[in-house]
Amino acid sequence: MMVAVFAAVLLALVAGAAQWRRAAVTGAVICLALSVWLFLFEVYSQQYGFTMPWLSL
Amino acid sequence: MENLLESRARLLALLNHIYLLGMVTVIAGVLTAAMTLQYAYGEIPCPLCLLQRAAMFGVCFGILQNLRGTYADRNTGFSLLFALLLLVVSERQTLLDIYPRPGHEYVGTAVLGLHMPVWSVVIALCLLIAFALRLAVLGGNAHMRGNEASTFPLVYKAAGIASLYVIAICAINLVSAVLQCGLGQCHTTGYALLQ
Repeated sequence: MMVAVFAAVLLALVAGAAQWRRAAVTGAVICLALSVWLFLFEVYSQQYGFTMPWLSL
Repeated sequence: MENLLESRARLLALLNHIYLLGMVTVIAGVLTAAMTLQYAYGEIPCPLCLLQRAAMFGVCFGILQNLRGTYADRNTGFSLLFALLLLVVSERQTLLDIYPRPGHEYVGTAVLGLHMPVWSVVIALCLLIAFALRLAVLGGNAHMRGNEASTFPLVYKAAGIASLYVIAICAINLVSAVLQCGLGQCHTTGYALLQ
């Protein structure tokens, strides 16, 4: 999935440099969506969910 | 009088473009430093670290669109969204490892006493402040009309070089992500495809 994130942002950068506006925006949106999804996937724990009990006093 | 207003608008636009060019140069420098730590010192990035790099490339995307394409608030919006993503990811990673326990500690060496995720929080905040300052001091789009970066040849050429450099380091990161993660999850134990 990380590969897809970098591929999407590279697509956005290359398309932006080539003035392919629609492809650039599409790449950026895909990268943003995949990044958010991957971030939630990475921080979710089966034990704690999204909470951080080690911060509780 | 009209000439004076036109010169003022052109000066403001030039300052705006130089400011954006400075921002993209700093981000490219930060990314290069992270890559140096990875390839020269063998510090393999964690998944959240890689996401932070992707977010920095996203910030560059918005800025470069404003410099190389047509100036638009939408591009600044993309940069701000990616800067916020960088802040959220790095903040969460900082909080994840802030209380050392088995399996959870800051990876990599500390630079000036701060570990990478903490630096990312600082960088994200600096980016957000930089965008806020730009809007507060050089804000407004009126002076940008007709004064795109392409009307300043030197700035436009420098932006072109910056654009090529950012694309090059992004491509290196893509290849690196393929080697490290393959098509599965990323681990800091080594490059999956080289083992």
